[in-house]
Amino acid sequence: MLEAQSGAKWDAIRAARAKTDDVLALLGAELADLADANFSVVVTGSLGRGEATAGSDADWILLVDGPSDPNHAILAGDIANRIRKVVTKEVGRTGTFGGIVASHELVHYIAGTRDSNENLTRRILLLSESRALINPLVRERVIQNVLARYVVHDRSVQSRSGVRQSVPNFFLNDVVRYWRTMASDYASKMWERQREGWGIRNIKLRFSRKLLFTWGMIAAFAAEVFPSAELQQVGDDDEYYHALAKHIGTLTEVTPLELLARVVMACDDKELANRIFSSYDAFLGVLSDPDQREALEKVPFERALDEPAYAGLRDASHAFREGVTGLFFDAHPALKRLIRGYGVF
Amino acid sequence: MRPIGFSTGALAKGDVARGVELQRTRQRIDAVELSALRDHELPALAAAAGALDLRHFSYVSVHAPSKLETLDEQSVFELLVQLPEPWPIVAHPDILRTPSLWRRLGARLCIENMDDRKTTGRTPAELRALFEQYPDASFCLDLGHARQIDPTMASALQMLRELGGRLRQVHVSEVGTRGEHRALGATTRLAFSSVTHRIPEGCPLILESVIPPEDIERELDAVQTALEASAVQVATA
Repeated sequence: MLEAQSGAKWDAIRAARAKTDDVLALLGAELADLADANFSVVVTGSLGRGEATAGSDADWILLVDGPSDPNHAILAGDIANRIRKVVTKEVGRTGTFGGIVASHELVHYIAGTRDSNENLTRRILLLSESRALINPLVRERVIQNVLARYVVHDRSVQSRSGVRQSVPNFFLNDVVRYWRTMASDYASKMWERQREGWGIRNIKLRFSRKLLFTWGMIAAFAAEVFPSAELQQVGDDDEYYHALAKHIGTLTEVTPLELLARVVMACDDKELANRIFSSYDAFLGVLSDPDQREALEKVPFERALDEPAYAGLRDASHAFREGVTGLFFDAHPALKRLIRGYGVF
Repeated sequence: MRPIGFSTGALAKGDVARGVELQRTRQRIDAVELSALRDHELPALAAAAGALDLRHFSYVSVHAPSKLETLDEQSVFELLVQLPEPWPIVAHPDILRTPSLWRRLGARLCIENMDDRKTTGRTPAELRALFEQYPDASFCLDLGHARQIDPTMASALQMLRELGGRLRQVHVSEVGTRGEHRALGATTRLAFSSVTHRIPEGCPLILESVIPPEDIERELDAVQTALEASAVQVATA
């Protein structure tokens, strides 16, 4: 709809969405016989964001929310084989994906000494860019539990005016923390891997990782950006926070790009829409072209600007950054107030 | 105090008379649900209904079969419709295969929210769609099912906000990982207590906890501790 409103053509975005639907349907069919009330198979990454291209892998987890069972390990192996039949590219080498994840750590180890980079990554990606291949209620249940930790069980002191907290600080801080973690991890991987594959990681940081951050910020501001009559009418305080968690939970069913589009549409600014989505379309266009993707993966750091795929996307990333900065700081009436109030101090 | 009592099936599987008998003499119990969860139990219940001594109970409902194995839908409907008019008929959505048939029950049809083994009627959105099909039907909130779907109880609260006007009774039990109904545990009691302010004072609580008769008083204590603490007066529809 935003595409039509802006008079633009975002072919790569549309193609990636169609590709995602196809792959998700194939994966769902491949796993369809694994119905179980205590686990779900969830994908994150480009499949979770609706941005799959020919070079995409499938970042999957066997999300267990129930009694532990040694058979989960056997099933995980089976799931890996079945997924490999549809998506041949191997999952990333960090070990964050491609195995069993117990809901307990996602729900109970939020911040504090027992949280880890891996747990933070899984938790935020579950919220911002995940899709269930089977048993979607398990995914929804875990998400609602995580959101309850952020929203229901962490509240500010009641204000003198009686105005309820609309922005859950714990959630917002975790979202910001994840964005900064991704940026820091980029530097860490540059060091550990001696710049191997740095180009594509750099470009992803500029686009898809930044997009996740926008999803998180908008979700944290959901009560103000997407006001809900139901939320405003709740009389009881406890119930209000449950309803707020539920309200944020509805956004976990929306891809980051779609959520960003909804917010941009509210600004009625074609130039802004074009700046953000045409640059993102260029990003997906390069990733969907095997030659350009390979060039990004192999570009030497010292000759980065001589590589057209990298240099072009670097320029486009500046337009994307200016676009989202303009959206949050100037164009959107609620966001510019919220980013000032909560964005830094 | 809300009317409270057990489903007969929880206390005496397949034996309605025994399930009634175990409750009839207890002062704290004034509600009962006559269970015909397995469809072969329904003809016997229909035949015995007039002879059951139910004077002790201020509220009586009947639970329709959850699966159709020995009877067809029409036969189940006909057996249910001949039961005493004041008894709400609690039904799982998946047995309602012919909506025009079940709509004839009006508010007597009491649709229950489902656990995660079913494919419909589990979430607020799925219930919303169901009640569009059955605009006059009433609602049985199964707290255990709702908690299984969403342990934070946000979904249960949403169901109560959206469907509170239709609420006819509440099912209470802990629901295990295989969907079995069990005695209330500590975390379940805590979860249930967060929705009690939304359950009207006059709304009957039907316990589905499968327990031996000697645990009846203890289970009543557990439920009343969880659900009676902060009850408020809300007009029933």
